[in-house]
Amino acid sequence: MPDLYVESPLAHRNSPERLSIYLREIKDRGMVDLRGIASDKKFMAAAKKVLGLDLPKTPHSSVSWGDVKALWLSIDQWLILCPRAKAAELAAALTAELGVIHSLAVDVSDMRAVLRLEGEGVREVLLKGSSLDLLSGDYKPGAVRRMHYAEIAALLHVVEDTVFDLYVFRSYADYAWEFLLATAREASKIKLFGKQAGPF
Amino acid sequence: MSNKPYRLLEGGSRIDRSKRVTISFDGRQLPAFAGDTVASAVMANGSKLFGRSFKYHRPRGVVGLGSEEMNALVGVGDGARHEPNLRATQVEVFDGLHAVSQNRWPSLTFDVGALNSRFSRFLPGGFYYKTFMWPQSFWKHVYEPLIRKAAGLGRAPEGRDPDTYEHIHVHCDVLVVGGGLAGLTAAKAACASGLKVMLADENPELGGIADLTAGSIDGACVGDHAKAVAGQLYAAENVHVLNRATVVGHWHHNYLMIFERVADHDPALLAAGTPRHRLWKVRAKQVILATGAIERPITFANNDRPGIMLATAASAMVERYGVSPGVNGIVFTNNDNAYLTALGLKKVGIGVRIVDSRARAEGSLIARAISEGIEVSMGSVVSAVEGSQGVTAARIAAYRRGQGRVITERKIDCDFIAMSGGFNPALHLWCHNAGKIKFDENLQSFRPDRHHDAMQAVGAANGTMDVAATLAEAHAAGVAAAKAANGKAKAVKYKVPEVKEPTRAPLESLWFAPATGKYNEGNKHFVDFQNDVTAADLELAQREGYESVEHTKRYTTFGMATDQGKTSNLNGLGVLAEATGKSIPEIGVTTFRPPYTPFSFGSIAGVLTKNLFLPIRRTPIHQWHLDSGATFEPIGQWRRAYTYTGAGETKHTSINREILSVRQKVGLLDASTLGKIEIKGPDAAEFLDRMYTNTFSTLKAGKCRYGLMMNELGFLTDDGVTVRLAEDHFLMHTTSGGADRIAAWLEEWLQTEWTQYRVFVTPVTEQWAQFAIAGPRARNVLAKLGADFDISHEAFPHMSFKEGKLGGYPVRVFRISFSGEQSYEVATPANMGRGLWNAILEAGQELGIEPYGTEALHVLRAEKGFIVIGDETDGTTTPIDVGLEGLISKKKADFIGKRSLEQSFLKAPNRKQLVGLLTEVPTDVLPDGAYAVRALKDKPPMEMTGQVTSSYHSPTLERSIAMALIENGRARMGETLTFPIDGNKVIRAKIVDPVFYDKEGARQNA
Repeated sequence: MPDLYVESPLAHRNSPERLSIYLREIKDRGMVDLRGIASDKKFMAAAKKVLGLDLPKTPHSSVSWGDVKALWLSIDQWLILCPRAKAAELAAALTAELGVIHSLAVDVSDMRAVLRLEGEGVREVLLKGSSLDLLSGDYKPGAVRRMHYAEIAALLHVVEDTVFDLYVFRSYADYAWEFLLATAREASKIKLFGKQAGPF
Repeated sequence: MSNKPYRLLEGGSRIDRSKRVTISFDGRQLPAFAGDTVASAVMANGSKLFGRSFKYHRPRGVVGLGSEEMNALVGVGDGARHEPNLRATQVEVFDGLHAVSQNRWPSLTFDVGALNSRFSRFLPGGFYYKTFMWPQSFWKHVYEPLIRKAAGLGRAPEGRDPDTYEHIHVHCDVLVVGGGLAGLTAAKAACASGLKVMLADENPELGGIADLTAGSIDGACVGDHAKAVAGQLYAAENVHVLNRATVVGHWHHNYLMIFERVADHDPALLAAGTPRHRLWKVRAKQVILATGAIERPITFANNDRPGIMLATAASAMVERYGVSPGVNGIVFTNNDNAYLTALGLKKVGIGVRIVDSRARAEGSLIARAISEGIEVSMGSVVSAVEGSQGVTAARIAAYRRGQGRVITERKIDCDFIAMSGGFNPALHLWCHNAGKIKFDENLQSFRPDRHHDAMQAVGAANGTMDVAATLAEAHAAGVAAAKAANGKAKAVKYKVPEVKEPTRAPLESLWFAPATGKYNEGNKHFVDFQNDVTAADLELAQREGYESVEHTKRYTTFGMATDQGKTSNLNGLGVLAEATGKSIPEIGVTTFRPPYTPFSFGSIAGVLTKNLFLPIRRTPIHQWHLDSGATFEPIGQWRRAYTYTGAGETKHTSINREILSVRQKVGLLDASTLGKIEIKGPDAAEFLDRMYTNTFSTLKAGKCRYGLMMNELGFLTDDGVTVRLAEDHFLMHTTSGGADRIAAWLEEWLQTEWTQYRVFVTPVTEQWAQFAIAGPRARNVLAKLGADFDISHEAFPHMSFKEGKLGGYPVRVFRISFSGEQSYEVATPANMGRGLWNAILEAGQELGIEPYGTEALHVLRAEKGFIVIGDETDGTTTPIDVGLEGLISKKKADFIGKRSLEQSFLKAPNRKQLVGLLTEVPTDVLPDGAYAVRALKDKPPMEMTGQVTSSYHSPTLERSIAMALIENGRARMGETLTFPIDGNKVIRAKIVDPVFYDKEGARQNA
C-alpha cells in the first residue's frame, strides 16, 4: 500500500514576513462536530464518558480535559478539539457510546483551516476584520465566538491573552491568510488605548 | 501678485522657522516652513487666489480656518497619488508637495469660464433645470458632458492607487468628538473614571481654537491650559487620541465612522508602507459632541473676493503661521469676538479698522479696541467691495436694522476684510443621529435640543460660547457620560477654576448687508460660496414658488456639495426669512447628511481590493488546476476549473476533447464544491419527505436517490442526490451554489416550524474532496486503484453507495451519474484530496483518463437532458415545467410547495415547458437566453414564446443542441421555432425531446 499523501489547506503558503504578529497554520488539530441535546442527561453522560469532560453549556465558553477540548458552538452543538490522529477514533467512540441517544458526531478535521495568531497587538489585528469588542472582558482565554471575519464566517478561540486561534472553512483559508497578511503588516501596526507619543 | 512681504518677521505658533521646505502651487515653487498649510504657505508668498468658483468661475481665495473652507480647494499629489478637492486650510505642507488649483482653464488668473460671470444675468438660480430640459436624449450626450466640463471640482487621479488603506473596529465607553477646550475638558473628566475613552480631532494638534481664545484659566492662557490637558490625555492608559481624524458620520446606537488621515502629511510614512488613511468604525456607549462652532460669513456685495476671510481665519493666519492677510484691512462684524481679531492684527503692525453693524454695543473688547486707537464705525456695514482678483477698497455705509438699500457710501482703501457674522454651533453629527435642534435668539443660530440617544453636546457645539461655562458644562458631561456608560464609574469632583475672560455684548443678526441698489449688476451677495448661490438666487426661488427650504436647496443648490452648507446654511435661512417675512424657525433647516467632510474612496474600500475584493473559495485541488492550465469559472464564490487547455488547443477544442474522453474512455472531475449535509435523527426520513417533492423514507440504506426541492411557492430551488447511510442517517448533496442556503433552509424549518422533529443537520461540504470518475472505463480505474469493497456492477449498481478504501485512501463512493456514463463519485477527507486525485490520474493513465472541467460537465449533462437549477429554472419554474412531474409524490400527505402546485396559474395550459431544440443548420449554436418569437418582424417588439436555457455544441452528436422553456412546448414536438438574434440573423430550430443521447440510460447502467 502506498503512503497516503496528506496536504493541509495552507500547505502551499510560505511563512510570512514583516508582520506585526506571529502567524502560522496549525496542521495537527483534529476536530469532531458534536450535536446533541444539552438537557438530555444521557447524552451529556455519554459524551463525558468518551471525552472525559462536561460539555460546556455556557455560551461562548470552552472546557478542556487532557488533550481534548470542547468549544461551545450553539445550544446543541460543540466542536471537539483533539490531536488529529485521534479524531476519527473519537468520532467513532462518540457514535458508539451515544448509540440510540439523539445525537450526531462527525469527524470534521479537514473542514476548517486553523490559523494561529500570536503576539502583542493580535487583538488590534483581528479588529481590522471584526466588529466584536475584542478588547472587552468577554474575550478572556477560553472564550469562543463564531463571527463574521473580513467577509467570511469564522470561529475565534482565545487560547491565551495574546494567542488566538482563528478557524475558517477550508475553501476560505487562502482568503483569510491573505486578509491577515494585508492587515497584520508591521507598517500598519496599531495599539488601541494606552500611552501615546502625542501628535507627530 | 504682490511684492509685499506677507510673512511676518516673527510669530507663528504652528510653524518651525528652522525647517524650511519648498512646495509647488500650480507649478510655482514656493518657500514655506514646516507646520504651514498650503493655505498659509501660498498666502505667505503674497498670493490670495486659490481657485475659480463652481458656476461663475469667479476668482476665490481662502475664507476659513479648517474643514469649513469652501473656496480654496486644491488638488494635491501627482498621477496615481493625485487627490482632488482638498481644503488648502487643512493640507499640511512637506518638502516637495505639489498642489494645483482647480476649476480653471487655461490658468488661474485667466479663465475662459469666467465669461459665465459676465453673462451671469442669464445664469439665475435653477438655470440648469430651466435650460437643459428638452429633448430628453440631449441630457446624456450633450448637456451633461458640457455641464460637467464647465462646472465641477478637481480631476480624478490617474492609474492604480499605490497606497494602502484599512478599516478598524473599536468599542469604547465614551467617545469625545472634537479636541478643543470643551472636548479636552470632557475627555479628561471621563478619563478619570478609568473607562475606555476615545478622543477624535480633525486637526494635527489638539486644542481647537483655544490658542485664539482670549482669557486665562488658573493663570494660564487658554491655549496653554488646553495643551496641558492634551498632554495628560496622551499619557493616560485608558484613552485613545486620534489626530487628523474627522468623524464623518454618526448613526443610531452611537455607531460612528472616523476618517483618519494617517500618512498624508508625511511622505516618509507612506514610503514605509503605513496605511494612507484608516477608517474607524466606532461603537460608543456614550458620545460627547464637542464639535465647536463655525463662524458665519456676512452677505454683502462681492463678499467672495480673494482677501475676504473669516475673522478667526485671519487671526489664525497671524497667530499660527505668522502670515499677514494684508497690510491694511477692515474687520466687519456684528459681534464682539471679531474685535479680538482686530486687536491681534494691530499688535503685529497690520493696519485695521472695525465696521460694526450694531448701533451700539458695550463690551470690554470694544472698549479695548477704542482705547488702543483702532477706528470703530458702529452702525455701519461694508456695502460693496472693489477689486476683482483681490480687494482694493471697500465701501462703508451707515446702517440700521432692516434697511433695504444704501444711499451714501464712503470708499476706504484696504487689501483684505475679516468678517464675522456670528457663530453657528456645528450640529452636523448631532443631527446625523436624529438629534433635534432649536433656534436660539441670543446666538441667532440653531443649537442642540432633544434627542433619543446616549449623546451630549458641549461647549460651542451646544451654543456655550464663554470659557467658564464651557469648562463647567464639559466636565459635567464627561462625568455624566462615564456614569451612564458604567454605573460603577467614580465621579470626579469639579474644582471650579479661576477663569478670566472679556465680557461680551450680544450680537445682532445681520443676514444681508445692503448695497446701493439691491442687487445691482456685478454686485453679487454670495450666501453659498462653493455652489455660487447668491441672496438674489434664494429670493428668486421663493418668488418662483419653491417655498419649502428643502425645495429651495435643490433648486438653487444652496447648502449642497462638499462643504454641505457649513458656512452658508444659516445665512441662507436668514435671507429666506427676510424675503418671506417668516422667522428662521418657521423656514426650518435642511437635512444634515453624512459625511461631515468628504473622505476617500480608498478608505471606504480598505484592504478589500484586488485579491481581497471578493472572497474566493478554493477546492483542495485548486493548485493542481492552476498548474494544469485550467481556466476558472465562478460558481458562487467558488472558482471551478472550466477547461484544461493544452498546447495547440483552443478552449473549444479542449472542451470537446474532454467530453469525448468521458464518452469514449474515462474522465475525472473535481466536484468538491458540491454541497454535502449530514442529516441524522429518528425523524430524519420523515423530515426529508417534507423537504423533497419525492419520497426518501422508502429509500434503503446504502442506496442513493435524486431529489427535487421546491420552495413554498412550488418553484424549484435545489436538486441533488441524497444517500441513506443508515436507518436514521442521511447524506444530502445540494448544488454547489445552494450548499449554504439549503443548510440554512433545513435549519429554519426545523427550528421554526417543525420543532417536534428530532433531527440534526450538520453541513460537511468542506470536509470532503469529491471527484467524479466517469466513462466506460470508470470501473477499470477503480479496479486499478484497488478497492477494499466489491466494485462489480451487480454488487455496486447505479444509485448505490459504498464506504471503504480506494488506493489506500478512506472513501465514500456513490455510483451516481450526471454525465450519463458509468460513473462513480468518490469522496475522501479534504486533506487527502490531492493525494487521491493524483492516485486516480496515475491509475487511469493507461486507461486514457483525462481531467474535465465544468463546461464539459455541462455539455455532457445537456446531451442527457439533465437540468441545472438556475439554467433550466429561473425561480418561477416548477418540476412539472421541466418535465419531472414523475418526481412529485402523489402519496405523501404534505411536502413543501405541494399546495402551491394546485394554484390555477401553475396549472395553466400555456406554461413554458422544457424541450430540446435542434437547429436547422447543425453548426448554428443558439445563444443562451435567445428568445423564440411567435411571428418574425422587421424590428422589435416581437411577441415571445419562450427562451433558450442551455445551448452547446455537442461533439458526441457532432452538432449543436439546446434546451429551452417554450410555451406549451411538450405538445409542440416537431414544430420549428424562429429565434431572431443579434446582427439581423435568424436561427430556426425544431422542438424535440430534451434527451439527446442514450435515452434508455444503458451507458450509466453498464
